[in-house]
Amino acid sequence: MLKTEGLGYWYQDKSEPLFQDINLTFEVGQSYAILGHSGTGKTTFLSLIAGLDKPKAGDILLDDRLLKKIGLTTYRRHDVSIVFQAYNLFTYMSPLNNLLTAMAITEAEHAGDKHFALRTLNDLGINEDLATRNVQHLSGGQQQRVAIARTMACDAQLVVADEPTGNLDEDNTKEVIAQFQKIAHDRQKCVIIVTHEPDVAAQCDHQYRLENKQFTQLA
Amino acid sequence: MNFFKRAWLNVWAKKGRSVLLILVSSAILMFVLAGLLIRSAAVKATDQAKADVGATVTLSANRQAAFKKMQSSSSSTSKSSRPKMTLTPVKLSDATKISQLSNVKSTNVTSSTTVNAKSYDVVSTSTGMGSSNGGGPGGMKSSASTGDTQIDGVTATSLTTAFSNSQSKITKGRGITAADKNTNNVVIEKDLASQNDLTVGDTITVKETAGDKAKVKLKIVGIYKASSTSTSASPMSADPANTMYTSYTLANTFKGSKYANTADSVTFNISNPAKVSSVKKAGKQLINTSKYALSTDDASYQTVKASMANVKSFANKIVWLVAIAGTIILALIVILMIRERRFEIGVLLSLGEARWKIMAQFFTEMLMVIVVAVAIAGAGGKFVGDQLGSQLVSQSTTTQTTATSSTGQPGGSGQPGGTRGGAGGPGSTNATTSAKAADTDLDISVSAVDLAELGGFGLAITFLSIMIASGGILRLEPKKVLIS
Repeated sequence: MLKTEGLGYWYQDKSEPLFQDINLTFEVGQSYAILGHSGTGKTTFLSLIAGLDKPKAGDILLDDRLLKKIGLTTYRRHDVSIVFQAYNLFTYMSPLNNLLTAMAITEAEHAGDKHFALRTLNDLGINEDLATRNVQHLSGGQQQRVAIARTMACDAQLVVADEPTGNLDEDNTKEVIAQFQKIAHDRQKCVIIVTHEPDVAAQCDHQYRLENKQFTQLA
Repeated sequence: MNFFKRAWLNVWAKKGRSVLLILVSSAILMFVLAGLLIRSAAVKATDQAKADVGATVTLSANRQAAFKKMQSSSSSTSKSSRPKMTLTPVKLSDATKISQLSNVKSTNVTSSTTVNAKSYDVVSTSTGMGSSNGGGPGGMKSSASTGDTQIDGVTATSLTTAFSNSQSKITKGRGITAADKNTNNVVIEKDLASQNDLTVGDTITVKETAGDKAKVKLKIVGIYKASSTSTSASPMSADPANTMYTSYTLANTFKGSKYANTADSVTFNISNPAKVSSVKKAGKQLINTSKYALSTDDASYQTVKASMANVKSFANKIVWLVAIAGTIILALIVILMIRERRFEIGVLLSLGEARWKIMAQFFTEMLMVIVVAVAIAGAGGKFVGDQLGSQLVSQSTTTQTTATSSTGQPGGSGQPGGTRGGAGGPGSTNATTSAKAADTDLDISVSAVDLAELGGFGLAITFLSIMIASGGILRLEPKKVLIS
């Protein structure tokens, strides 16, 4: 589904890239964990495959189509869904409106379907009462579940998550990772999670470690 | 069009911020509206002044030419004989030609003279130093060539400056009209009437001061009240109470047969004061300019026009200054708002929202605020406009009247045969101008057009503010905001 070909990135100095010549393939129905120490470039890698930045070298292909040909805005709208460590929900909206807004912007199949949005939230433990409150009145775990529900409500085949459990306790972490697995296996999406927690990575189908400017598959 | 919904949700969720924005926008728009209202009221007032204040062109003897003629004749005659300035009375046939020009609304023929009272006593003004005419109370019946009663022959009293400006008012009976031509009807002053127990319908007798000095009976058809009174010892005929209005034909009769079908001056009321110059130019081609002169008097109109031009100019400055300041203020607020909401913008960008739609969301939010602000400004703008407008008019009128007075006004022509300046005499125009200009008030009312114009300004201010602030949205990189 998603392929990187000779991918490389650096900030100022080309001779000191964060990573270079990365050739990876990610498939639908699978979950991937990218591990690595702080500063190794795993979040930068995620921002490239999420279409938030452009690679300095190489290409990213989605179903054999070059990302630069698709266009980053179109790619973000239709093909990728992002979950952030800080949830990044619309703080002036309810969980329900967060989902409806995302569905409308991404032109999802169920755009405007309030019942579908409520059902999706309910599947993640956000009942109707919570769904209609302002998101700021929800706990961190609940907010992250809303963020995950947002990716589920949209039609994107690729879900990328940047340290999604970074702000969560152990129980919520387990819950969230389980949800990502369900998204990958039940909804047949490709899930790529960037994490520094080996326990979280262990629950994914595939693990890669970014080290010394190269990716190494762990299992 | 999801940005509409987002905009509404944001405005509703952040009520405190929205209310503050509404208050700031209302204050800005209130001053814009006040400026717009004053400007449109000034335009209306100037148009109204054209109709109300009016302007005149006066045809009279050419004093300057007559004076030159007198000077040249005096050098050729012996020193013992005193040279006389001869003023040619205006021929009514010449006046008729001018009255047929376009923009001439009405014509007032003026012919003044004096007569002596016969069956009544003139009003005498005495000072502490004694009576002005040396007679006892009640005055005396003079037999001099200058009589004790001023006769102002007119076409109609309503066309005279004194009556049209309400300086003089008919209190009983009626004024002189065109129908009084060739009659002995007369309108006398209230003080004269009360002193002699005269009322409408009574007859009085006067004695001519010229020719065979015949006695003539006059029928009182009206009594008027003059606003001014004599306060100094001056010839009795100069006392406003001793002025009678008659048809100009009767005044000519008093002056003698050679004055038939003539006038001291003929005043043409012009329908559009802006056309005064063109009427004067056209009129000059119809008369012998060596004998007659055409003078214009549009001072009242010019004063009001200048005053309103000042008000309009100031109002324009208010509108633009407030609009520019408002745009800057709102732009700064929006810039701060955008900085505060950069995470939201980042999320929107990560979802694939187009940047222009994000800008459209901010614009819609501001638009919602502006709509409410327009409504508030619409209610409050009239109050601010009223206060500001009356202050401006007061200041501007005072400035204009002072400026006009200091530069001097055309005093109108002197009137041959009479002993004083008459209606167009020096000084009277200034007083009239001041009165008229002071009367000019701004009719400040909020119309649908004003609100539409205000809405347009609001829209422009909002649009410009968003455009200025949009640099922040266009430059924003979602990666930097969301992944850090």
